[in-house]
Amino acid sequence: MQTEKLLKELTDAVGPSGREDRAAQIILDFFSNGDGRCWISELRRDRLGNIILRKAGQGEHPPRIMLAAHIDEIGLIVTALEDGFIRFSTIGGIDQRVLLGQEVIVHGREDLPGVIGAKPPHLQQADERNKAVKIEDMTIDLGLAPERMAALVRVGDPITIKRSCGTLKNSFYAGKAMDDRAGVVALVECLRRLKDYNHEAEVLVVITVQEELGVRGAFVSSYGLNPDIGLAVDVTHGEMPGLADYEGFKLGQGPVIVTGPPVHPLIFDKLKAAAEAGKVKYQVEAAETPRGTDAYAIQIAQAGVASGLVCIPLRYMHTSVETLALDDLKETGRLLAEFIMQIDRAFLEGLECY
Amino acid sequence: MKDLLRRLTSIPAPSGREEQIRAFIQAELKDYCDELTVDTMGNLIAFKRGGKTKLQFAAHMDEIGVIVTAIDEQGFLRFSNVGGIRPHRLYAQRVRFQNGTMGVIGAEKIDDLKQLTLEKLYIDIGATSAEEAKTKVAVGDIASFDHGYLDLGQRVVAKALDDRVGCAVLIEALKRVTKPQNDLYCTFTVQEEVGLRGAKTAAFGLDPDLGIALDVTATGDTPEAPKLAMKLGQGAAIKVKDVSLITHPQVKELLTTLAEQNGIPHQFEVLPFGGTDAGAIHLTKAGIPAGVISVPCRYLHSPSEMVDLNDVEAAVRLVVATMEHPITL
Repeated sequence: MQTEKLLKELTDAVGPSGREDRAAQIILDFFSNGDGRCWISELRRDRLGNIILRKAGQGEHPPRIMLAAHIDEIGLIVTALEDGFIRFSTIGGIDQRVLLGQEVIVHGREDLPGVIGAKPPHLQQADERNKAVKIEDMTIDLGLAPERMAALVRVGDPITIKRSCGTLKNSFYAGKAMDDRAGVVALVECLRRLKDYNHEAEVLVVITVQEELGVRGAFVSSYGLNPDIGLAVDVTHGEMPGLADYEGFKLGQGPVIVTGPPVHPLIFDKLKAAAEAGKVKYQVEAAETPRGTDAYAIQIAQAGVASGLVCIPLRYMHTSVETLALDDLKETGRLLAEFIMQIDRAFLEGLECY
Repeated sequence: MKDLLRRLTSIPAPSGREEQIRAFIQAELKDYCDELTVDTMGNLIAFKRGGKTKLQFAAHMDEIGVIVTAIDEQGFLRFSNVGGIRPHRLYAQRVRFQNGTMGVIGAEKIDDLKQLTLEKLYIDIGATSAEEAKTKVAVGDIASFDHGYLDLGQRVVAKALDDRVGCAVLIEALKRVTKPQNDLYCTFTVQEEVGLRGAKTAAFGLDPDLGIALDVTATGDTPEAPKLAMKLGQGAAIKVKDVSLITHPQVKELLTTLAEQNGIPHQFEVLPFGGTDAGAIHLTKAGIPAGVISVPCRYLHSPSEMVDLNDVEAAVRLVVATMEHPITL
């Protein structure tokens, strides 16, 4: 499957945190029946739903590298049914200001199309016009009578934004859930590149769940795998009007290699060296906090893991029009493959003496 | 059940000082399980043999409280919170220290309720000097609310129903269960109110196949309440999400099916704030599927928490049904 097609298919798929099954199925199919079948040695899922794709290394004790990207997306959840309308809360960090007027799908006993309504401007009081509506005051309309709704929808049913991934000019893609299905696609790209190479390291690609709720899938998968090195692949903010230079990264200028609290200095250096060796154009970001990506969980798993973080620039994060450049995603895959090719036993020994 | 709730809620056990409540539950359960152990953190684990699957239940023994930070020259005590406490719920309350010393909470003069912070409050134990106060209380001593149990018929009111009602449900279920189909590890956890700490180490030590927490949840059935679906008297609440957990789909399905098959009144719960022991359990080691059976409770984290006995009974029945169902995940 082509990269573009996989990105579109994955980002259109439903998979809010905790209910990632439908999006995960695309990856499971791709690696058990599709092109990816021959690229890996083993596929399994852990008890919380993380998908683990293993590609064997060489020798008796190969360095073990975990690469993580999360497949869950932010969403909404039914909190109460009220006179034929749905009250809801969030799954992950939803910006309530971008919700009004959105089309949604309520995943009840069947998928139900709905809209998030808004009070008409004609009927707003003067003091309402300049204020953002709070999520507690919003409702979803399914067009269903209360009795019928009660039969189809229950408290706790997940809700996702309805949005089909679109193409802009210049191979820019805009859609929901690019955060972090773009990272997932980059990992698929990485495995595609590695299929023709022998590398010393054992590769453990983990498609994680529940990242948006506090990097939960990464906590348990990194404990279970206990790798020598762990890289998280996620998105970072793309440049746009209103951001300072250091806040936004350029689209189309390559992956962003992150340094700072969640990153081991030698892994940061090695990622830059790999980029230079492979002639991958890259950008550098200084992380302000250790939290926020799977790297945080991986770093402190068991007795500690040498961790790194590579990000794809993305505009309008946590909206349904997250926008990125396809080239960045492909180049991220290439950078990760280059990095893996460079990791050997000697590098690991260097980490141990750090 | 009323008598058990009355006795459980009358015992002071703020987080970190669960000795008295643990001794009470130990005595209550000694004839109803195969083994009773206490781990390093102080969690009480009642084990009952039943089958291959390791099933952990968790109800927390601790309650919110206050801890003395300083004693001033006049013998007034300054304090900090142990667990989630709102200042306006403390003013004019009575507190009881572990050694039995009683006190009332007073406030400095303020012009506006918004200025009411913990720093403006103090505990008055009736001492006339620092010297006298220090004969009764020391910096670091922890106290809990002292508020009587109230029987309102179908509903009861007490302090610390969060989570003595969970403890009561688990105790009663252990007494009622006749044919357990899973190995049951009924854990009465410590330090939940300060960050799910007891459950975290208990689950790491046990490494169960499935974890179920028993706790309270908020309701939306009072005047101008937050828009929540949970109501008193509508049955046991099967949690779908709170801040600490999104329930494993198979666990939600299991509890829902058991409730439906056994005709147990139940409701679904989404709580946009708060967390329970299940949050700690599910992230233990390489991951443990987990869920929560909640008892809806009004006036949470106040000295007058209210539950409905129909909901308590429904929760007991759902726990027993889970214990007696051979679980494979």
